[in-house]
Amino acid sequence: MMDKPTWNSTLKAFLYLLPALLILIVFNIYPIIKSFLMSFYTEYDFYNDIVYKYGLSNFSDILNDPNFIKAVINTTVFVIGVVPISIITSLAIAVMLNSKVKGLSFFRTIYFLPFVTSVVAVAIVWSWIFHSDYGLLNYFLGWFGIDPIQWLTDPTYSMPALIILSVWKGLGFNIIIFLAGLQNINRQYYLAAQVDGASAWHRFLSVTLPLLSPTMFFISIISIINAFKVFDEIFALFNGTAGPANSTLTVVYYVYQKFYEEWEFGLASAAAFVLFIIVFLFTLIQLSLGKKFVHYQ
Amino acid sequence: MKKLSLLGIAGLFLVLLLAACGGNEETNEAQANSEDTEQENTESAEESAGEEASSEPVEVEFWHAMSGPHEEAIKAFVEQFNNEHENITVKPVNQGSYDDLEQKIMAGAKAKLLPTLAQAVTNVVPEYIGNDFITPLNEFIEDGEIGLSEEELADYVDVFKESSSWDGTYYSLPFSKSTRILFYNTGLLEEHGLEVPETWEDIRTIAETVTGDGVVGMGFENSYESEFQALLKQLGGTYIDEASNEAQFASAEGIEAMTMIKDMIDEGIARTAGEDDYMSNPFGRGDVAMYIGSSAGIPHVASAAEGNIEWSATTLPTLDGEAATTFAGNDIVMFNQAEEAEQKAAWEFIKFLTSPEVTAEWSMKSGYLPVRYSAQETPDYKTFVEENPEYKAGTEQFDAGFFIARVQGGDAVRNIVLEETELILLGEKTVEEGLQSAQDRANETLQK
Repeated sequence: MMDKPTWNSTLKAFLYLLPALLILIVFNIYPIIKSFLMSFYTEYDFYNDIVYKYGLSNFSDILNDPNFIKAVINTTVFVIGVVPISIITSLAIAVMLNSKVKGLSFFRTIYFLPFVTSVVAVAIVWSWIFHSDYGLLNYFLGWFGIDPIQWLTDPTYSMPALIILSVWKGLGFNIIIFLAGLQNINRQYYLAAQVDGASAWHRFLSVTLPLLSPTMFFISIISIINAFKVFDEIFALFNGTAGPANSTLTVVYYVYQKFYEEWEFGLASAAAFVLFIIVFLFTLIQLSLGKKFVHYQ
Repeated sequence: MKKLSLLGIAGLFLVLLLAACGGNEETNEAQANSEDTEQENTESAEESAGEEASSEPVEVEFWHAMSGPHEEAIKAFVEQFNNEHENITVKPVNQGSYDDLEQKIMAGAKAKLLPTLAQAVTNVVPEYIGNDFITPLNEFIEDGEIGLSEEELADYVDVFKESSSWDGTYYSLPFSKSTRILFYNTGLLEEHGLEVPETWEDIRTIAETVTGDGVVGMGFENSYESEFQALLKQLGGTYIDEASNEAQFASAEGIEAMTMIKDMIDEGIARTAGEDDYMSNPFGRGDVAMYIGSSAGIPHVASAAEGNIEWSATTLPTLDGEAATTFAGNDIVMFNQAEEAEQKAAWEFIKFLTSPEVTAEWSMKSGYLPVRYSAQETPDYKTFVEENPEYKAGTEQFDAGFFIARVQGGDAVRNIVLEETELILLGEKTVEEGLQSAQDRANETLQK
C-alpha cells in the first residue's frame, strides 16, 4: 500500500483530487485571497475592478468603530455562551441515548430534527416562543412566578434568547457525532472497569471521557468556528436587524451590514479578515491544547 | 436496520413538513407587510408566454421582488404586453425579497450580467447612479416618436416624478409606491364616542382615552423613522439636505418631533411593533387602537383583522395645520449594460407598466398606489375605491407627500438613526444626545 510516491502515482492522486480542489479554489481559496486584497482597497471602483489607492485605513477605521468593537465583544459572549453549554448538554444526551433505551432511533431522529430544519423556520417558531405576551416560554416561567421577560426587545435578554436558540439548534449535530464516538469505544474497557468495581460515574470519567477526547476535540473546534460565524439565526430571529440597540450585532452581521447595506466593500473585507485572524488564533490554541489532552486509541 | 430507515424516512418527512410550514409562515409574514418583504419563493417565473415569430425578437429580462398575488399580477401584465408586442418578449424573474434583489443586482453588476430592467427600492437608486449602473430615461421620455407627451408626463404623480429625477434627469420611473396612512379601529373609537383623528392632538386624546384593559392607544412600526421624518417636516425641520449632503435632524424641530413620539411611548399610550415585527398583527388582534403604517399593508391588515375588529384608514394627522407624509416604495430602473434594442424594448414595457389602465389595475390588485393621476378616474378604480374606502387615504395625500433626501450612504444613515433612536426609546440616551450623536455619525458617513 505505502509505495514510494512516483510521478505516476502523484499524477493519479492529483487527478482524483482535482474535482474537489477546483471547487475549493473557485469558491473558497480565491474569495479568501480576493477579500484579503480588498481589505487594503481604500479608493476603488468596485464594479470595474479599478483600485486607485491601497492602504491600511480600512483596518484603522473598523478598529476605531465602536460598533465593530461591540460586534467582537458580542461574538465572544456568544461563543462563550453557546459552545460549553452545547457540548455538555449534547454529551449528556448522547450518553443517555447510548445506553439501552427503547425507540433509540426515534429519539435520535427527534434530536436531529432541529439541525436539518431551515434556520428561518426555526427562528420564526422561536420568535413565537419568545413573545413576551403570547409566548410559551414566558407562560412556563409564569408558573414559577417569574414576570414576563421581553426576550426579543430588551437588549439585556436578546443575547440569552439567541444563545438558547443556537444551543437548541446545534444539539442534534453534536449528539450524532458524540454517539458515533461513544459507539467506537471498545466495550471491554467498561467490562474491565466494572470488574475493578468502578461506579458508573467513575467509568464515565476514566473510560468514556479520555476515549472520547478525539471526538470532543473535533466537536469543540467545529462548534467554536461555527459560533464565531453566527449570522442566520440573528437575521431571522430579529427580523433583519442586529437585535434591539445592536445587542446581538456580531462580526459576520457587521460584515453583512457594511457590504450589502452600506456598500463599504473595503471595510467589510477588513472586518472579515479580522474575524479570520481571530478564528485562526483560536484554532491554533486549540490545536496546541489538543496535543496535550487528546488521546488517540 | 429496517426499522431505523423507516423512522429515518418518517423523520425526513417531518422535517420537510416543518420546513414547508416555515416557508409558508414566512410568506404570510411577508405578505403581511410588503414594504419589507422577506421571501424565499423563487419559483421559476421564467416561462413567460411569447412567440418569437418576427425577424428580430428582443428579450427583456425584468427582475423583481414580488411574490404571491403580486407576482401573479405581474405575470398577467407581462403576458398581455408580450401578446401585444410581437417582437418583444419580457421575462419576469422573481429574485426573492427586496434584500435578495438588491444583493443580486450587486452581484449582477460585478459580473456584468445585469438584466435590462429591475424593480429598485428608491433609497438604493443613488448607489446605482453613483456606481454607474443606470441608463437615464430622458432620451426615451423626450423621444418624439416613442416618448411621452407633455400631458402624459404631467399625468405622473408629482411626488413620484420628483423622487425619480435628479436635476431633470430621470433615472427611474415609479412602479410600486406606497405612503404612510393612519389605520384605526372603528369599533373601539365608536365605543368611546370618539371621532376619526385628524391632528396629532386628536391622536393623543384618543390614545389617552382608549389605553387600558390590554389595549394600547397608538402604534408605530419598528421603522417609525418615517413618522419622525413626517413630524420633523411638519414642524419645519429638515432631515437630510440633499443639496449639501448634510443631516440636520438634531435641530430643535427634530428634538421636538422625537420627544413627541417618546413621550407617548413612555406614558404607555403608544408602543412600537417590537417583537411583532409589523403592526398589522397587534392591530388586527385589537391590541392597538390606531397605528401609522404603509399603505401597502392594507391587504395584510385586512387579513389580520378579519373576524376580530372593524377598522378603516385615513390620512396622516396634521400638526398645526401642516400635513406631511413620506412616500416610499419601488421604482423601475433600466441598466446600462443592456444593448440599445433591448433598452428600446424595455422602455415600451416601462410605458406599459406605468400606463393609467395598468397602474390602476396594479393598484387594485396589490394595494400599491396608482402612479398616474388619471388612473384614479378610470371607472374600475372609482368603483374599487368606493367599495374599499381605506384605499382613498393614500391617494388623498399626494399633495402632502414628500420623500427623504436621496443620497449615497442613505442606508448607512438609516442604520445609524435606527440604532440611536432605539437607544433613546430605551432611555439609554436623552433625545438630545441620541439625535446629536446620530447626526454626527450620519454626517461622517455622508461627507466621506
